[in-house]
Amino acid sequence: MKDASDNVSLKSKELRQIWLRWGFTHLSSMSYEKIQAHAWAWSYIPFIRKYYKNKPEAARRLLLRHSQFYNTEPQTGQLINGIVASLEEQIAQGKNVPEEMPTNIKTSLMGPIAGIGDSLIQGIIVPILLSIAMGLATGGNALGPIFYMIAYGIIGPTISYLSFKSGYKLGVSAIDTIVGEDAKRITDAFNVVGIMVVGGLAASLIVLKTPLKIPMGTASEPLQKLLDGIFPQILPLSMVLLSWWLISSKRMSPTKVILILSAIVAVGVIVGVF
Amino acid sequence: MDYALLLAAILTGVFCYLGAIESPWLFGMTGGFYIVGRPLVAGLLVGLAFGDVKAGVLCGLAVQAVFIANLSTGGATNSEITYAGYGGIGLAMATTKDPGVAVALSILVGQTFGLIFYNLRMAFYSYWNARAEKAAETLNTRGITLNHLIYPQISTFLLRSVPIFLAVYFGKGLVDWLLANIPHVVTDIISVLGGVLPALGIAMLMNIVIKNKAHLIFFFAGFVLLAFAGLHMIALVFISALVAYLVFLASRKSIVAPVGGPESVEMNRKRADEDVFEDEDLF
Repeated sequence: MKDASDNVSLKSKELRQIWLRWGFTHLSSMSYEKIQAHAWAWSYIPFIRKYYKNKPEAARRLLLRHSQFYNTEPQTGQLINGIVASLEEQIAQGKNVPEEMPTNIKTSLMGPIAGIGDSLIQGIIVPILLSIAMGLATGGNALGPIFYMIAYGIIGPTISYLSFKSGYKLGVSAIDTIVGEDAKRITDAFNVVGIMVVGGLAASLIVLKTPLKIPMGTASEPLQKLLDGIFPQILPLSMVLLSWWLISSKRMSPTKVILILSAIVAVGVIVGVF
Repeated sequence: MDYALLLAAILTGVFCYLGAIESPWLFGMTGGFYIVGRPLVAGLLVGLAFGDVKAGVLCGLAVQAVFIANLSTGGATNSEITYAGYGGIGLAMATTKDPGVAVALSILVGQTFGLIFYNLRMAFYSYWNARAEKAAETLNTRGITLNHLIYPQISTFLLRSVPIFLAVYFGKGLVDWLLANIPHVVTDIISVLGGVLPALGIAMLMNIVIKNKAHLIFFFAGFVLLAFAGLHMIALVFISALVAYLVFLASRKSIVAPVGGPESVEMNRKRADEDVFEDEDLF
């Protein structure tokens, strides 16, 4: 028994629906246990109406395999949604694609994509746009926030759309582009931009100065001035390196690091170091 | 009854919901968390609600500096930026309109109530998740919609808008009391802490991008280009793009030997390496 819809491909309107359903609700039911899991099942509801009308058992399997833990950067992560859409389409058309494939692809790609996406969006684009916008907003100028709203309002959806489209177009071959040898070189090189920009953020975003004075013969010299002469921004840098060491080597949670930083600052202020 | 304050407090509460990380209405995180959720934008929106855009933007600007390296990875976050932004800026706009007060209140709200509310909600939503999975099992698409979208969003709306509305509307007395009674040293600690907090966000970013301890050299290169050489952020982006391209060239396997054989590849690689570390001359 063949369905009338069996060999029909997804129309661009239906693809857009899958893209939009994920784009709007990826974190809608976010919990620590599942994060973005159910946005997948929800984005495939029109899909199962088209392909699985008379096959409830297969539809049930699809919804279940798209209700499992999933977590990536949701905008660049649309690449995975695109790849999986092309796979699900082939499965629905009865082509020779195993049903575990979408799950395997999701679990193996969500980590790498989250790494690239988080450093691209939270590490580079957002801080840079914000620092431009903050410059424009000096003196209470509304132009600053308006610039940021427009700039990210264009960039964010564009990244999301292009990621989904290229994922769907490339299908499984996109995986080579993402985890292959050449891709590793590109992402490694790209990562260098992220690391350098983060270094720049460390030098410009943190404000920590010491009011201490050190005696210099009869007069006294502010310690901060001396520090600036030897190594500018050394106090902010030390705070960053301490926090990084606590997170990466000591595996501390951000909340614990906040408590430690607060304790250091409190003691510092009371003693008069900061 | 102060209708202007009532309206402004309601609007602030609604914005706080729209800017939440799990709010879907403005294309998910893109327009919600990343746009409406940023304190700089919050300043503009709350300023509009209170009819004083300039004071709002000034408060937003000050609070944004503290939370510029706010990060959310895998549900873990260093501070609840939406509660912090709307709670702190909203309360400040309802009382003194002073950016310093907005910063202190944002830190208090974001690092305490905000994180507590956030973590409770994250734990609680497992309940909706379990129901959504059950609905998938029984092929109940309406159940998925209800438990993925409708019920969680109603809960979020209540958890975000109501406390922020109450805080802004009834917070005047509390803020006045706090300002009058908090010892000077505590406000000093909070303001220094505001300057230090971005360090944590930056550390979380480092944790994502630095996979190899040797890569710290790139971090220091970026750091000295701003701290020592005094470059602008945009200039740093171009220089780091150049360095990244050189790293890309240098990582080429010798199998793809260009004209001139393996020796020249070796030389190219060497030269590229030298170029990469050129920035270190600034030390």
